[in-house]
Amino acid sequence: MSVASATGSVASLRGALLSSVTALLVACGGGGGDSGGVTPPPPPPPVTISRAEAAAFLRQSTFGPTTGEIDRLISQGYAGWIDQQISQTASLQAPALRALPVAATQDDRVDLWFRHAVQGPDQLRLRVAFALSQIMVVSERSGLSQFPVALAVYYDTLTQNSFGNFRELMEQVTLSPAMGVYLSHLGNQKPNTALNIRPDENFAREMMQLFTIGLVELNPDGTVRRDAQNQPISTYDQAAIENFARIYTGWMFGGSQSFAQPSFNFDQPMQAFETFHDTGAKTLLRGTTLPAGQTARADLEAALDNLFAHSNVPPFISKQLIQRLTVSNPSPAYVARVAARFENNGSGVRGDLAAVVRAILLDTEARSPAADAPGKLVEPLMRLTALWRAFDGRAASGRYRLSNADILVGQGPLRSPSVFNFYRPDYAPPGEMRAAGLVSPEMEIANEATVAYMANLLAFATFAGNSAAANPASDDILIDIRNEQQIAGNAGQLVDRVADKLLGGAISTALRNEAIAMAERSPASATAGRVAEVIHTIVTSPEYVVQR
Amino acid sequence: MKTFNFNRRDFLGLTAAGLGAGALGLTPSGDAQAAPFTDYRALVCVFLFGGNDAFNMVVPRSLAEYNAYARSRQNLAIARDALLPIDPLTSDGAQYGLHPSMTALAPLFASGQLGIVANVGPLVQPVTRDQVLSRSVPLPPQLFSHNDQQDQWQTLAGRLSLKTGWAGRAADEIAVDTAAQRLPVNVTLAGTTSFQIGANSVPYAIGTEGSPAYFVLTNPQAALAAERRAMFERLLATRSASPIGRSFSAVQTRSLALADAVNGALAQAPTLRTVFPQSQLGAQLGAVARMISVRDRLAMQRQVFLVAIGGFDTHDNQNTLQPGLLGDVSNSLAAFQAGLTELGIADSVVTFTQSDFGRTLTSNGDGTDHAWGGHQLVLGNPVRGRQIYGQMPSLEIGGPDDIGGGRIVPTLGADQYAATLLRWFGLTPGQITAAAPNLANFSVRDLGFVS
Repeated sequence: MSVASATGSVASLRGALLSSVTALLVACGGGGGDSGGVTPPPPPPPVTISRAEAAAFLRQSTFGPTTGEIDRLISQGYAGWIDQQISQTASLQAPALRALPVAATQDDRVDLWFRHAVQGPDQLRLRVAFALSQIMVVSERSGLSQFPVALAVYYDTLTQNSFGNFRELMEQVTLSPAMGVYLSHLGNQKPNTALNIRPDENFAREMMQLFTIGLVELNPDGTVRRDAQNQPISTYDQAAIENFARIYTGWMFGGSQSFAQPSFNFDQPMQAFETFHDTGAKTLLRGTTLPAGQTARADLEAALDNLFAHSNVPPFISKQLIQRLTVSNPSPAYVARVAARFENNGSGVRGDLAAVVRAILLDTEARSPAADAPGKLVEPLMRLTALWRAFDGRAASGRYRLSNADILVGQGPLRSPSVFNFYRPDYAPPGEMRAAGLVSPEMEIANEATVAYMANLLAFATFAGNSAAANPASDDILIDIRNEQQIAGNAGQLVDRVADKLLGGAISTALRNEAIAMAERSPASATAGRVAEVIHTIVTSPEYVVQR
Repeated sequence: MKTFNFNRRDFLGLTAAGLGAGALGLTPSGDAQAAPFTDYRALVCVFLFGGNDAFNMVVPRSLAEYNAYARSRQNLAIARDALLPIDPLTSDGAQYGLHPSMTALAPLFASGQLGIVANVGPLVQPVTRDQVLSRSVPLPPQLFSHNDQQDQWQTLAGRLSLKTGWAGRAADEIAVDTAAQRLPVNVTLAGTTSFQIGANSVPYAIGTEGSPAYFVLTNPQAALAAERRAMFERLLATRSASPIGRSFSAVQTRSLALADAVNGALAQAPTLRTVFPQSQLGAQLGAVARMISVRDRLAMQRQVFLVAIGGFDTHDNQNTLQPGLLGDVSNSLAAFQAGLTELGIADSVVTFTQSDFGRTLTSNGDGTDHAWGGHQLVLGNPVRGRQIYGQMPSLEIGGPDDIGGGRIVPTLGADQYAATLLRWFGLTPGQITAAAPNLANFSVRDLGFVS
């Protein structure tokens, strides 16, 4: 009996996995460093692209390489491929959720996220949107738990602005009703001193700390600026938060009859109700003052302009996007090169995210890393999507029904435990990395429990969730291994085929030999078992978990 | 043939897989324990993520103090007659009550197992409101910021640049004494946090059902399981060129090496009659109780567990959210204490809360914002309960403890709180100072809430 046909149902694994959900609540600190000089832009990347180089690029720019995408990238070149991706229409969640015959659930939303991640043609856009969703965080684990479409609308906002302008993104995020509920500036109103009521500071604080400028002044290369006493310099104080909190007053669901009669319309931006807006004069950052008597919208535009113009925004956002896409520990020079494109896309435009993404992916540090470069730990969700993309994993129903298995591995789409994301950008794993001042944000959610759940999920997705499975349920996600079964008699050829699909062939001799040996432990006739062993060996290997 | 099977394996067959703390690269620093531990003690940290509004958790009931509270809190004030009266052995002249949702914990205050530590928060040194406003003394950085103040509670870093947490440093200090333990001192059910990271020690993470078993590697009924496991271990042992790869391999190696030992031990755990709440916190504390019940099978003598509950960042809908949050804390902690009593180990476990910060006394309409000082709960038979430790602050807006907007300056430092717990845990004064680096700035170094 082959392993692949003796594996029980996907449902039984799901049950076993879901029997134990680990809380993943996180915190950390850190930061610091010296400034480095800005060096000229690197030379253009080499013209010819190997399959291994193509796969490495696609691990940074998509939810996982496929044979077709590797071929396309080699033929179009990096820049051409990026241009073609930018021109792709956005895969949106909300219209699809609204079209369902019954009210959408959060599972439906997550299902769509996986459909798009695994099958969407607009891979780069979706990958950037996912990165943005980890910076400007809104989460289902909040008062939004009953509003999957609201979360989908928010996600679509990110997807549609992935290659747009950051200033516009700031505004759409600020006026998103999902964000308004999540960070409680929806319904926020002017002070009532008689009742000791003052404006809600939640959004005002996190908009600065997490979404735009961060806590401390940065150099253009993302390193921390220090004062004469060698101390970091705060970007704002409590008074600034209180002023910005007064900016974000007077906003309610769009289409509401009045401030007190909310429409609960999550489909359109929030709407200002001037009676509830604090019209007093306000002091913004860097001494900018706003006169009394401005409308809610005028105050908002001025405040967002004030934040957008802050010199921290380019390095703060650029560095985090680098960490989400390419490497965890960009050199200050890499940050500076990308931040320079954020400041000016070459045509005098600040905040052009398409230019930023291009700069991140085409940088020499992303394209030609040193042999011992730390790279980036592949995010848990992408360990799943990469497998399913490489082997066209899908269910007969078309769905990706993971229930809450994604949370077990520490990460789910718009399922962060808090506005601080699944992990912090400066998380340093204990031991060697902490000592060396290196970070790996994703390691914050890679603990003994989550890595075991992940290994089990991957084992199941290869051994049980493959096209040789007997009597699969319509929701069972199956990878297509039929082509690989044809060559399973030759273990070396089989391993090379699998390695080509997953990594453009870039595996170490040690891993290749282990995979061959695992295949050959099954009889040549057990083709599905052999293929599953090989895929399992590679996708659970530590080598494969690090993208470089 | 059942290939995938989560059956737990017999503990005795798995001792070879055991990995003691000695394998984790421990180097003791200085003030080692004179004699090895002869007993078992556990600290259980319940982290309330988001910043618990503790001024609605413990509320004055006597009229003058209640009126001051109600004037400050306005529409967020708990009704006076709804408070659950508590009767401390030592009175400060006022009367107090617990939030109405905390019915399960109130009797434990009366029975002397629950204590309240008043108005504690991260401090570098004792500080007054005026000193804060004039910025004349060093303060912890980035007050009122979630992650920074969580970090302060967990690391006690103050103005120092510390990359380790106080439970992690405590584990470092007792490394020699706990070298025979099969698990690290620190166990987490709430992810990796600075709290449990030491210079040499690392926390070990489990799920609420124990350690997930690697079913295609370890199930003896699965074809090729042994071969797969050997392959998996060889690849983990292959040095990665990337430090991130090495870091990942270390976690995965520990995960695989310890899963069978933990699950084998847990398979022998007695079935508890105590029913834990269905909540995440209840499930985590249930798992801690089970882990404690098999402490001898894992040769454990000193353990620090971390559990957590989120959702305390009540900027919005506070009146709606608070009963569920505090009710969960109350029910889960009370169940945990009952479980420990049932196991006969209640004399050896102290449970305590930490949280990002207290919240503003002023309202933002229907919620509160980030502030500083707040009250914490300490629970257990070793706790000198039925007492309020420290000083209840004035709850007047603009009062002597308000640094603005109803943000209350702490009267006790988190270092003092941690030091009190670590003294009971068995650390020497020198070891305690290593774990609580700002303690030297305080004259009172043991708050006295543990026997």
